[in-house]
Amino acid sequence: MIGIHLAILAIVVSFGFVFSYLAMKEHDLLKALALSSVQSTFFALGFYILAAPDIVLAYLAIAVGAYTALVILAISKTERYEVGE
Amino acid sequence: MKRDVIVAVSFLLAFLFIAYAVVYINVLGLGGAELRPLGEFYLGHAFAHEGLTSHSPEVVTAIVWNYRGFDTLFETFVFFLAIMGAFSVLRLTREQESIVRELEAKEPHRQMDLITRATTKLVVVMIVAISASIALHGHLTPGGGFQAGSAMAVALLLLFAVFSKFTLERKGLNLRHTISAYALGLALILATVLAPVFLYGGKVLEINLLPGETGLFNLDVGEYTAVTFGFLTVFLVLGVSEWIFKTVLRGEVDD
Repeated sequence: MIGIHLAILAIVVSFGFVFSYLAMKEHDLLKALALSSVQSTFFALGFYILAAPDIVLAYLAIAVGAYTALVILAISKTERYEVGE
Repeated sequence: MKRDVIVAVSFLLAFLFIAYAVVYINVLGLGGAELRPLGEFYLGHAFAHEGLTSHSPEVVTAIVWNYRGFDTLFETFVFFLAIMGAFSVLRLTREQESIVRELEAKEPHRQMDLITRATTKLVVVMIVAISASIALHGHLTPGGGFQAGSAMAVALLLLFAVFSKFTLERKGLNLRHTISAYALGLALILATVLAPVFLYGGKVLEINLLPGETGLFNLDVGEYTAVTFGFLTVFLVLGVSEWIFKTVLRGEVDD
């Protein structure tokens, strides 16, 4: 038994992968952004289980806060929906 | 849609298989690795009474600003160059700035509802308090200047989104002030980095020579100020509406 925390890590990061896949397939850019911030939250949990609280503090603020806001500002200057294949 | 589900599930299975192989069968030989001598050195010296100590029980901050200080110093300057690059691409002359101010006065006045505004006021106070504690205790508990600065930038961003750019500008957070504050943070970092050379005859960034944890504390506070106002500068520049920018640029072409 190496540790239950590694199993939790695997589950959390798998959820992160699923959400990043969904974000890539999404054609509504704002929805894709929301999915990508959910993915960041899961990865932040993963960093916390890996005992890196310094990274968690920076990662959450950047990936959920600043990055999302920058991309929303960028989307507001173009169109919301991705068209074509 | 069905193909998407198959792709997602197969990714998941592959990942679980790799995780199982690495953790339980120990394919890569990572399990049970001992502490390397370098790690032992850091753990033993980050907080000690003599020798090459940096007076910090938080080993990560000690490594980031002391043992590997030049990495962080240059990272700060790269961040500075990136923000100054964005700012110089989107810069405006004095006349253009007054045109922008005139056009912004004509924009329709929009406001979020009372519940959002009241909640935001509460949350912003909490985020500011937490970011201050992350920065000022950066040498004692997990955290440091960059983390605290990005948390603080999120608080200002909430104000930006829920109230408006003009609310921040009315409170004195306009572009000139944010850039001055950014420069102040960088000056504090540079002063702390150079202080050992002039005061104690040491080397650049040899902050162990400064009394107690002054060095790490000053560097954290400087980085806190620099990152907060760096982000805010970018958001203030990007927050100008697109049609206003287009009008100004069209005027530039006509001249």
